Amino acid sequence: MTRLTASLAALPARALGAALCLVLVARAAEPAAVPHYTLDQAKSSLEFTFTQAGAQNKGRFKSFPVSFDFAPDKLTAGRLDVAVEMGSLDSGDQERDDTLRSEDLFSVKKFPQAHFLATQFVQTAAGFEAVGKLTLRGVTRDLRVPFTFRTATENGATVGYMSGKTSLKRLDYGVGQGDWKATDQVGNEVGVSFSLRLTAH
Amino acid sequence: MALRNTTRRWGALSQLLHWLIVILIILQVTLASMADDLPAGAKKLGLLARHKSVGITILMLALARLVWRLLNPTPALPQTLKSWEQSLARLTHALLYVLLFAMPLSGWMMSSARGFPVSWFGFFTLPDLVPKNRSLYEALLTTHSTLAWVLGAVVTLHVAAALKHHFMLRDDVLRRMLPLGSSTPEPK
Repeated sequence: MTRLTASLAALPARALGAALCLVLVARAAEPAAVPHYTLDQAKSSLEFTFTQAGAQNKGRFKSFPVSFDFAPDKLTAGRLDVAVEMGSLDSGDQERDDTLRSEDLFSVKKFPQAHFLATQFVQTAAGFEAVGKLTLRGVTRDLRVPFTFRTATENGATVGYMSGKTSLKRLDYGVGQGDWKATDQVGNEVGVSFSLRLTAH
Repeated sequence: MALRNTTRRWGALSQLLHWLIVILIILQVTLASMADDLPAGAKKLGLLARHKSVGITILMLALARLVWRLLNPTPALPQTLKSWEQSLARLTHALLYVLLFAMPLSGWMMSSARGFPVSWFGFFTLPDLVPKNRSLYEALLTTHSTLAWVLGAVVTLHVAAALKHHFMLRDDVLRRMLPLGSSTPEPK
């Protein structure tokens, strides 16, 4: 009798456990409930710096749609997807822009987009780091991008501010064919910095 | 040969600065015309970077030369020259000095107006002289090339005069700017 009572009592507990397991599995399989952000292009910037003829020069991209799923307390659910429209580059000089778009450099006709995709995020002392892959001029390589992130409520809506900088070597991606492979006039090291305003959906 | 000038002869430093600038101006014309013949590309960029660095070097040497000239006696023009010839010689020399400054400065300004900072052989970057402005750049480009032709004309006159002094007037005007040339001895 006592044994029966015990097993009966154990039944709902077990069922509950199983049900809970199912829910957990379901939650993990479904898209995580973290905020989804997209770019406020007008209030965001993506810049690059490079050495030209010994002096530091600057350029920017005018169009680079961003899709960002992120919550600082749920890093495993994070996903960052940035598509940079290479044709939208602006180095402040029409002739230089045309040169940059040409086949030996960004080859914009053949590779209209650069793409950064990160699905792994780590917390660092200064903020976070997106661990992902950058595809530029058809070459894909690992890239870690450190950034800071904060949210704010503006006019009742949630917005995210994300900024950071990193650097990469242009020749790793084949940006520089022919004479442009030389690094004495245009340095191999290119700095990339961004300051984004993201709106939550 | 003395380092300083005398009233009859250019000293070693004046001569060094004179001939160094001659060599660098020849280099400048060469680099500029080579770059002009190339389409936009890495080679052109490299040549123009050298042209800018050499130009800044000339500017620094011109400044040193002007200061040294002010601190030294200037060898006198031969008294045999007519007064209009003396005036023409002074005007030519003054113009050469003006151009030694105007050429690199207009080039530097041109680069700044284009939005391309000028670096001295990659060692340091010079400040921008004017804000970025496309039409200012176009105007400075015209100025820089016009001044190059003016410089060519004045240099031609300068060289022709030096040769005339040496071969026709047979005085020491050319020799006193040459390291090995002897000149009329100093009066006792």
